[in-house]
Amino acid sequence: MIGLPAYLVLGALVFSIGLFGVLTRRNAVGILLGIELMLNAVNINLVAFARFNGDVAGLVFTLFTISITVAEVAVGLAIVIAIFRVRRTVEADRLDLLRG
Amino acid sequence: MAPSVWLPLLVLGLPFVAFVLLAVVAPLRRVGPRAGLVSIGAIALAFGAAVTVWTEGFVSETTWAWIPADGGPIATVGLLVDPLSNAMLVLVTLVSLLVQIYSLAYLGDERPASLGRYYTYQSLFAFSMLGLVLAPGFLQMFVFWELVGLCSYLLIGYWYERPAAARAAVKAFWITKLGDVGFIIGIVLLWSATGTFEFTDLFEKAQEHALAIPGLPTIMFLIYLGAVGKSAQFPLHVWLPDAMEGPTPVSALIHAATMVTAGVFMVTRTEPLFALVPEVLTLIAWVGAFTALLAATMACVETDIKRVLAYSTISQLGYMMAAAGAGAAFAGFLHLLTHGLFKALLFLAAGAVIHAVGTNDIFRMGGLFRAMPQTGIVFVVGTLALAGVPPLAGFYSKEAVLGGVWEAHLTGPFLMLALTVLLTAFYMFRVVFIAFFGRAHAAADPHEAPWLMRGPLWVLAALTVLVGVRMALGGAEGHEETPAWLAPLSVGLALVGFALAWAMYQRRAIDPARIAAALAPIDYLARRRYGLDALYAGLYRGFILGFSRLVGWIDRYLVDGVLNVLTALTLRGGDALRRIQSGRAQDYVYGVAFGLLLLIVGAQLWR
Amino acid sequence: MTLETVGFWVVATVLLASSLAVVLTPNLFHAVLYLAAALVATGVVFLLLEQPFLFAVQLLLYAGGVVTIVVFAIMLTERLVGERIAQTSRHVVNGAIVAAAVFVGIMGFLIGAPLGAPRPAETGDTTAAIGRALVGPFAVTLELLGVLLVVALLGALHFARSEE
Repeated sequence: MIGLPAYLVLGALVFSIGLFGVLTRRNAVGILLGIELMLNAVNINLVAFARFNGDVAGLVFTLFTISITVAEVAVGLAIVIAIFRVRRTVEADRLDLLRG
Repeated sequence: MAPSVWLPLLVLGLPFVAFVLLAVVAPLRRVGPRAGLVSIGAIALAFGAAVTVWTEGFVSETTWAWIPADGGPIATVGLLVDPLSNAMLVLVTLVSLLVQIYSLAYLGDERPASLGRYYTYQSLFAFSMLGLVLAPGFLQMFVFWELVGLCSYLLIGYWYERPAAARAAVKAFWITKLGDVGFIIGIVLLWSATGTFEFTDLFEKAQEHALAIPGLPTIMFLIYLGAVGKSAQFPLHVWLPDAMEGPTPVSALIHAATMVTAGVFMVTRTEPLFALVPEVLTLIAWVGAFTALLAATMACVETDIKRVLAYSTISQLGYMMAAAGAGAAFAGFLHLLTHGLFKALLFLAAGAVIHAVGTNDIFRMGGLFRAMPQTGIVFVVGTLALAGVPPLAGFYSKEAVLGGVWEAHLTGPFLMLALTVLLTAFYMFRVVFIAFFGRAHAAADPHEAPWLMRGPLWVLAALTVLVGVRMALGGAEGHEETPAWLAPLSVGLALVGFALAWAMYQRRAIDPARIAAALAPIDYLARRRYGLDALYAGLYRGFILGFSRLVGWIDRYLVDGVLNVLTALTLRGGDALRRIQSGRAQDYVYGVAFGLLLLIVGAQLWR
Repeated sequence: MTLETVGFWVVATVLLASSLAVVLTPNLFHAVLYLAAALVATGVVFLLLEQPFLFAVQLLLYAGGVVTIVVFAIMLTERLVGERIAQTSRHVVNGAIVAAAVFVGIMGFLIGAPLGAPRPAETGDTTAAIGRALVGPFAVTLELLGVLLVVALLGALHFARSEE
């Protein structure tokens, strides 16, 4: 029987992998993919907690997270494309207009 | 309100209104001569009112609360009208009026805006001096005392483009301030001991012998210090000759007739207080007499006509102070009034001469009596009055001073003053003989001054004579008899001085150089002003400038240094910190991650 | 070893492997495909947790929608730039340390937490419960989510529209 900690460790691992991707990817699309992984990890956690505590709210939240993630990906990719049109690159290192 | 209150108030208020009008309404000030007319109109009305006050002999005291406190106001402002202030009101407004009229012609070449500025200052000065005269207490007197000092500074520095004038203004300000520091400390000490600034309260206490304060001599000495600075007593007299850098009418008004006599007026006004401290009075008398003698010797070797008159003013102020110190304050005040008339006359006449010749050096004048006889006559009238020749005004007042000093058994000061009588006649006739008689210089083509300048001269000359005649007819009214031998003595001394001057500079029977050689040490010292100017300059350079440099160094390297280091640190720190803002989104994600780690660690620790 | 246990380990392995592939593969296109695998694996995890409805949503929205959009985006940018977009990484060691540190931090919480409770039996139809919750206590949230989606749609359109 797989207990709650196993799911949580799985979620934490996926989350850390996603964070690693966000930190290391040069391509903006790659960073977005890392974010997707992190959100997935959160979803795993939410579902696992909801299941082990018998609370339907966690499931509803997962639903919301998935929907919001879709919206976020759509807007994020649109931004990437817009940036690409202007700057001819999607390398996050070169997008440093905010440098102090 | 009774006329005895509102008339003096009118006298005080009119120049103030003129000042405010000129100071605020810039277009009016810039038109020049017409601005002068505003000021002259105000002072003329004030003069009329002052004469009324004087002839009616008003006596009143009105005060308004100034600094309110529990149990009565701490300080008041108001008017103290009595014979003393009435006479001063007339003198101040009269000389102010004549000087302002005279200035219209004397300063006619000035730029209009500049002239407007001059009349603004003149109005302010008239207001300040009248406020000083009418002050019912030490505090108000001090305020106006400083105001006249300010006006003196502004008017000495009227030609502020000239470095000499600017320096003289600063010097006058600094040196009188030295005395004023003592004055204010004395006032405050007196207040803390008695709880009042009011003259009448203080006099009442003095009469009730309720003023036996420990340290009263010190307090009165400190107050006297104010008079030392303002009335150019030794050793703070050095500013007055330099103040001659100002326009001549200013010298006549401020540095001869009115402001410099403020010290004498103050001592006279507070005479009941000084009477309690005989040791200070004796000091005043000695210092006064010494000042008179010292200044007279310096006047003998001076070649600048205005400076001769300036030293003469110092000398005469010494007379007044000596009289006040001898307990004959009335005699001193009388001399103040007559001296105000004839010294203003002398200064204005000298101004006419300077205006005509274009130089201050008496040795570059000569034969002026023929070129400008009217000026010559009034100058001689003033000289005779100053030398103390009867029946002119100066004779009687000087007589009263000498008598008062003799009566007080102050033999030393009396002898110094008597010698000064001789010197006074000598140096004044020296100027007369060199400048007005003697050989005319071919280069200059002097001409008589315009009537705007001659008019005030004649008025003052007439008053000098009339006051003298009035005194001769009325006798010595109201003060003690002087010894019978005094009048012949002083006239005789004056005649000796006159004869010496005549012999040396008119007949040339005696070579001035030989006299100088005979009195070589005194001549040497007098020409160098007894080293006092050099001493002050040295002190100023050594001490004040040294101190300023120290302060400057502290400011530059310590105060600014700390700030510079701080700014540099801030800049460096900012520079270092801005590198954090790389602009790359992922570096910020690192920040978020570190924050998350911090939260985790913190939560673990504080669980 | 029950079927569920075996399934969990298999799915976990697949999920972790494909996740690592997403962040490590140099080819962006491959990364997207691995992401699709990871998302499907996550869906299977939901299934293991007896949530078939969420599994369906995960498949439809994520694996279907998101991956499709990303592929389109990659196609677009590659078409615009005219070359294959290489996918390289920066500061790999730093990222690994930080990610590992975060993982250790989370593990620290997990170790100390009282999580030993066994899984309760599944009661009733969770799909119906979700549906009731969506129109019950979460009705306002649902509406707001709808607004958000519309705004996101318009925003994406705005950003991605071509210059006229």
